[in-house]
Amino acid sequence: MHESRDNGQRPVSVSSRGLTKRYHLGELHSLGRTVRHLLRRNGSADLPTLEALCGVDFTVQRADSFGIVGTNGSGKSTVLQILAGTILPTGGKMEVHGRVLPLLAVGTGFHPELTGTENVRLFAASLGIPRDVIESRMDAVAEFAELERHMDTPIKRFSSGMLSRLSFAIAMQFPADIYVFDEVLAVVDGEFQHRCLAEIRNLHAQGRTVIFVSHSLDQVAEVCQRVMWLDGGRVRELGPTDGVLDDYARAVAEH
Amino acid sequence: MTDLDLREQTAVQSPDVRALELPVARTIRPVKRRLRFSDVFRDAPVVRVLAARDFKVKYKQSLLGPLWLIFQPLALLGAFLVAFRGLADVQSGVPYVVFALVGLTVWAFFQASMTMGTASLITNIMLVRFTPCPRFAFPLAAVIASLPALAVTGLAALIAAAVNGAVSPRVLLLPLGVVWLFFLTCGVVALVSSLTVRYRDTLSAMPFLLQVGLFLAPVGYPLAELSSTVRALVDLNPLTGLIEAWRWMVISGYSPSVEPVAISLVETGFLVAIGWLVFSRLETTMADEI
Repeated sequence: MHESRDNGQRPVSVSSRGLTKRYHLGELHSLGRTVRHLLRRNGSADLPTLEALCGVDFTVQRADSFGIVGTNGSGKSTVLQILAGTILPTGGKMEVHGRVLPLLAVGTGFHPELTGTENVRLFAASLGIPRDVIESRMDAVAEFAELERHMDTPIKRFSSGMLSRLSFAIAMQFPADIYVFDEVLAVVDGEFQHRCLAEIRNLHAQGRTVIFVSHSLDQVAEVCQRVMWLDGGRVRELGPTDGVLDDYARAVAEH
Repeated sequence: MTDLDLREQTAVQSPDVRALELPVARTIRPVKRRLRFSDVFRDAPVVRVLAARDFKVKYKQSLLGPLWLIFQPLALLGAFLVAFRGLADVQSGVPYVVFALVGLTVWAFFQASMTMGTASLITNIMLVRFTPCPRFAFPLAAVIASLPALAVTGLAALIAAAVNGAVSPRVLLLPLGVVWLFFLTCGVVALVSSLTVRYRDTLSAMPFLLQVGLFLAPVGYPLAELSSTVRALVDLNPLTGLIEAWRWMVISGYSPSVEPVAISLVETGFLVAIGWLVFSRLETTMADEI
C-alpha cells in the first residue's frame, strides 16, 4: 500500500508535476502532410503547435474538494482528460491514488438505441465497475435521475435534460475515490443543479476527493475548498477558494 | 489501461459506505505504449457489455430481428447455387451445398467482423474521447458480437453435412478452427480499426477489399478450378487455408490443399502480432486524433 504524503498532511489523491501537453494545429493526416512526413521524417515539425499545458504543478489531497477555473482554452479540460486517462501528457507526470470516476461531458457513451438501463450498464462497465455493483445501484440511479418510468425506453426518445440527469445519476451513484466533473452542470435545470451540488458536497463530506471545473464561480465557491486558476496552460494562482476566485473575477472583469 | 478496477471493492454497495479501499498508485506519464496483455483479461466485463450492445443494436427496431442471422447466409448460398450451378460435386462425395456452406460460415463471420470492427472505434468517438473505457474493447466486442451469426451458419453447415451423410469425425477438431478464425479476425480488425482512427481511408477501402476478398478466397468455388497464376494469388489469402482447414474438419472425404493451410497459419501469427503492435502503439493517442 503506497501512501504518499505531502507536507505531512492527508494522503495525496492527485499530484501533477511539470505537466505539459502539446497539440498540433490544423489537419493532422492529409495526404500532402503524410507524404511530406515520409519524405522528411518530421512532417509534424512544420505544423503550428499549441501548448495546452506548460508545466502545471498541483497537489490534491484525499478528501479535498478542488476547483479549477480559467477562461476557455486555459487547459482545464486537458488536465481532467489526463487525470481520467483518456489522453497522455506530452511531458511531466501525474500521480493518481485511487479510482477515478470522470464525468467529462454529459451524455457521453450513451447509445441512442439502447434503453436507459442498458446504457447505465454500458457506461458503468466502461468505468470498470463490476456487474453486481452496477445491478445493485440501478434503482438508485433511476431514482436520482427521476427516470424510474423511463428506464426501459431507448434513450433516443429522451430529452437532453433527461440524458444529463442520467449522466449525473451514474456519476453520483457509483463508488470511486476521486470524482471529476468538467463543466457539466451548465446543462441541467436549476432544481436538479441544486440536488447535484448537494450530492457533490455530500460525496466530499464522505471523504471522497472531488475535482470540479465550472465557469460558474458561484458553483465553484459552493463546492470547493481550494481552487487552481489556470491561464494559458500555466498555474496563475492556487490556494483557498475565496482569494483565488476574487482575483480571478477581478481579472475577468478587467478584460 | 486504467486502474478503475473496482472488483475488489464489490463489498461497497453504496457510496455511503465510508471505508475506502487504499488504492494502488498509478503514474501517468508520456509513454509510447501502455496496453498490456493482462488488461485484456482484466477488462473482460467491459468487452462483454459492449459485445452485448453491438449485438442488440444490430437488430433493434427490426421486425425480424435475429432471424436475419439465418437469412443473410442463406441468400448468399442461393446466389452461389445460381452462379456455380455447374459444380454439382466439388470432389467425389462432397456435395456442393455442404462445401459452400462451410466456406460461407467462415467468410460471413470475417466479413461481419471486419465491417463492424473497422469503424468500431470511430463510431464510439464519445466513449473514446470522454471515458477511460479501454480502447481495445471496441474492436474486440465487434468481433465477439459476430459470434452468434457464426454459430448459426456453422450449425446450418453441420446439419447440411449430416443430412448428406458427409460429417467427418474430425469435426471434433472444429473448436480449433473457430479459435484460429477468431484470432485471425481479431488481428486484422485490431490493425484496421486503429488505423481508421488516423486514416479514414480504410472506411472507403473496406467494402471494396471485402468484395475482392470474396472472389480471391475459395468460398464458393474449389481451388482445383483455378489456373496456376490465379491459384498462387488465392493461396496467399489468409482465409484460403483457413477455409480449407474448416472443410477438412467438417466434411468426410475432403482432401484439402496443404500449402495454403501452412501459409495461412504463418500469416495468422504475423497478423496477430502486427495487429497487437500497431493497436497498442496507436492506442495512446486515440483520444487526441479521433
